[in-house]
Amino acid sequence: MGRWLLLFVLGVIAILMVSPLILTVFTSFKPTTELVNPPWAPPVSLTYEHYVRVWTEAGFSRYFFNTLVISAVDAVVMIVIASLAAYAMVFMDFRGKLVLRVLFLIGLMIPVTAIVLPLFQIVRGFGLVNTHLGVIFADLALAVSVFVFMFSSYFVGVPKELHEAARIDGATEFQIYRRVVMPIATPAVVTTALLEFLWSWNDLLLRLLLLTRDEMRTLSVGLLNFQGTMTRDVTGLSSGTVIMAIPVVLLFLFFQRHFVRGMTAGAVK
Amino acid sequence: MAGVQLINLSKAYGDVEVLHDINLSIADGEFVVFVGPSGCGKSTLLRMIAGLEKATGGDVMIGDKRANDLSPRQRDIAMVFQSYALYPQMTVAQNMGFSLSLERRSKDEISQKVKEAAEALKLGPFLDRKPGQLSGGQRQRVAIGRAIVRNPQVFLLDEPLSNLDAALRSETRVEISELHQRMNTTMIYVTHDQVEAMTMADRIVVLNAGNIEQVGSPMDLYNHPESEFVAGFIGSPKMNFVKGRYAEAVGATTLGVRPEHFAIGQGDDTWEGRVTLVERLGHDTILYVNVRDAGALTVSLDGQHGHQVGDTVHLRPQLEFIHRFNEIGKPIVA
Repeated sequence: MGRWLLLFVLGVIAILMVSPLILTVFTSFKPTTELVNPPWAPPVSLTYEHYVRVWTEAGFSRYFFNTLVISAVDAVVMIVIASLAAYAMVFMDFRGKLVLRVLFLIGLMIPVTAIVLPLFQIVRGFGLVNTHLGVIFADLALAVSVFVFMFSSYFVGVPKELHEAARIDGATEFQIYRRVVMPIATPAVVTTALLEFLWSWNDLLLRLLLLTRDEMRTLSVGLLNFQGTMTRDVTGLSSGTVIMAIPVVLLFLFFQRHFVRGMTAGAVK
Repeated sequence: MAGVQLINLSKAYGDVEVLHDINLSIADGEFVVFVGPSGCGKSTLLRMIAGLEKATGGDVMIGDKRANDLSPRQRDIAMVFQSYALYPQMTVAQNMGFSLSLERRSKDEISQKVKEAAEALKLGPFLDRKPGQLSGGQRQRVAIGRAIVRNPQVFLLDEPLSNLDAALRSETRVEISELHQRMNTTMIYVTHDQVEAMTMADRIVVLNAGNIEQVGSPMDLYNHPESEFVAGFIGSPKMNFVKGRYAEAVGATTLGVRPEHFAIGQGDDTWEGRVTLVERLGHDTILYVNVRDAGALTVSLDGQHGHQVGDTVHLRPQLEFIHRFNEIGKPIVA
């Protein structure tokens, strides 16, 4: 009985989660003439015209490229910065370590929305508004605490003797980081890459504030173009959403195993 | 190769001093074993020689160089860890050649040295395997191999056999002794197992609560312990300590008799007791005997004996081998 109840509850949750996705996919393939049909009705005749329109006329090819560049750079740079900081926090002794840890902790607690305006001022101060670099700096600054803690919790599980053995073998701290610790931190690297990529890929607020020129915009901002005050381009919105979702879904499917291992790192010994 | 000297060496964590004023001179090529109970400071001392822990006071000399401020890599030492500490992502060959690759030696030289070490340690067929695909004994041999390819001045071994089963432990013990004879490099070995210490060491350093209790050859320590602690720690099964009338009869506060220094006999000079447990090891028989006024004693008899639990036996301590200690646990010299 308990098992059936659990399956029922899980089934309901699954339907609630998946139904908007199905609705979006159906709509994106429907010819405009079929939009009068009930939204849950599958497309009678499939059409790719909305995808072509969104990709070419609506400028999604450029938005896609912009988003890809920002997200990929975010993910790669975040891996380097966060893992280096976490390495120092876990394996090295230095003055001010505790203060630094507390600062990272504070970074975890402050919501982005609370500091988005000062952040905008800073980025503007550096003359980086309407540049991808400005968005990348802001992304990294806002999320670095999370990933420093993620890498730290993974590194804490690396036996201390490995670090010591490498020191005895004559490795410098950077050689230990690069040749001993990082190669065994693959789950943490993959998790960081995926999560940072995903956050960067989906973020709207920072991009809306920092990228006002159309040629610099990203997919999330591009989707807003399909919504006016009085009108809504439902097919454009749906196919744009699917285009935006595909890379992330593929990445997750591909790296799922590593991702779960990274998320649970440090949970048990 | 180089000797090691520890001069007034001390170590404290905050207010707690764990090593007090250690003075020790280890000769070039010597095999020295640090032995003592858990928490006595033996591993800390080894780590200070390695440069993994900083000394609070005193000096570590390796060869004729003061090593206090040298990093582990500058000390030209190699260390074998209890947990092997092999790099899991590297093959056996890469593990063994890691230190040489850091020194930017040529690939041919690295491969040659790794091959030589692997042959000496019977690791030839496993060079392309990862540590996770090896048994405990093989992993420990890789850890030793990683140390010997560097040809260091000093070998440090921190309880390297603790994770091995009994059979493999004695086998690897022999291999390490042979390795020392072949290389003739200074070796400092930490263990809590006095059998390892007795069988391998040129000299044993017995540590207790952060102090050196005694330094000497294994037989020196066995025959002439300078304290009740050393007498009890060296020898297996451990020495019996008897207080009361039996000790007073020989002018001591505590009388020490090794289990193998009891004979079974009859007469007024024997101690009557009841057997509470018998362990038959084949080559000898261990009796646990309860003697009035002496307590529970362990007796080791050569060969096989038919004693049963509940038997009454008469023990005669061999007077020429007894140890007499005063009230502070120091030996009474006749």
